[in-house]
Amino acid sequence: MKRTVIKFFRNIFPFLTVIFLWRLSISFLNPGGILALIPIFYCTFIRPVPWFIPFGLLFCFLIDYNLGALCYWTSIYLLCYALNGFQSFIDFTHRDFNSIDMFMLYIGIGLVIFEFTHLNWTTFARMIWIFIWMTVLYLPITRLISGVQHDR
Amino acid sequence: MIQNSTSSKIITLIKSAIAAAVLPVVFIYIMIAKPDYIIMNGLAHIVLPVANVVGDIITWPVRVIGDAIGNIQELSTLRSENAELRVRLDEALSYKHKCDVAISENDTLMRQIGIARQIPQRTVIADVIHENRALHHNTFMINRGLNDGVKPGMVVVSTSNQFAGTVIDAASNFARVRAVTDSDTTIAVHVAGYEVYGFLSGNASSTPTIGLFSDPQFKSAPGLTLVTSNISGVLPNGIFVGKTNKNSTVDVLQPGTLSRVIVLQFDKTSEYK
Repeated sequence: MKRTVIKFFRNIFPFLTVIFLWRLSISFLNPGGILALIPIFYCTFIRPVPWFIPFGLLFCFLIDYNLGALCYWTSIYLLCYALNGFQSFIDFTHRDFNSIDMFMLYIGIGLVIFEFTHLNWTTFARMIWIFIWMTVLYLPITRLISGVQHDR
Repeated sequence: MIQNSTSSKIITLIKSAIAAAVLPVVFIYIMIAKPDYIIMNGLAHIVLPVANVVGDIITWPVRVIGDAIGNIQELSTLRSENAELRVRLDEALSYKHKCDVAISENDTLMRQIGIARQIPQRTVIADVIHENRALHHNTFMINRGLNDGVKPGMVVVSTSNQFAGTVIDAASNFARVRAVTDSDTTIAVHVAGYEVYGFLSGNASSTPTIGLFSDPQFKSAPGLTLVTSNISGVLPNGIFVGKTNKNSTVDVLQPGTLSRVIVLQFDKTSEYK
């Protein structure tokens, strides 16, 4: 019984992390719950979790709703998923530091396109801040997920 | 993603093809559903409350600590605020009689010169449940929605009667308000004391900019009072928006400071008569 409960919580941990980060949206540190993109990216592309894709789509949609972004992050997520599936040159799953370089590329391109039409000094500074902040938090969050799930 | 077996390769390709096929559907929907996005907003109206409840359950320890810190900070300022409020109440009471007289005179004069103004028929008081300042967007959620008569397009003001934003989406029990500082906000304003109109545009910073004056000779100067204008037929007349600064920027209400707001239900289509 105890093991079943632990296994259950271990399995749902990535899902809980997404909800946790999305719900704790704060203007400066986590605008619109955008930090939830870290576990969404990690559990979809780097360490695929069963049944995570519909969940990731749903929360990309909710991030979009918070940001007033009209399915923008949802589209980026779908696009990245499609591109990743069609290619076999880069193996996302076996790169250093939980493929932080791929995440930086994903989030960097996403942010630049997102802010492109509204670019001024304020939005530029916010964009840089969000990029750095997400990059800094990527490793702790992904290591927490892999630690809870006992990855070797 | 590198797959080893042929079957897993095929499954991955099918999944990727489905994802790629959904993309044009999303883009076409965005193009044709403009500006209401009924399906998208309808889905959000169902999913968002559910996700919020689940999120509240998961994040309660963090939220309790955050609330406790917030309450301690609030308590520390409560005594001085109370003293200040008492002084302001005394001042307000002393002005109340003058205001009553002025309002009655104003009503009489308006009837005499035949000015028809849009007066709010009803107001809905709402609490801000979620502030959402994110990148170039600046919206907030209020805890009143369609069930309380809140509809998209309605005007939201602070309890001190300053323009805060407009409702852009309303669900049954909550609504989303686009703040005056949002980069998609463009409202018609009137420079009080002058026959000059202009447009105030949010730019994601705390100080939106004003421009495109009806009088090209007019130069913005610091300290001018701006009120809403119904010149574009979107907003009612005369709601205080803010005061001008240097460089055509305007000091407006910051959504982060709001905890309670008033939604004004204006009689634009004479439906209440």
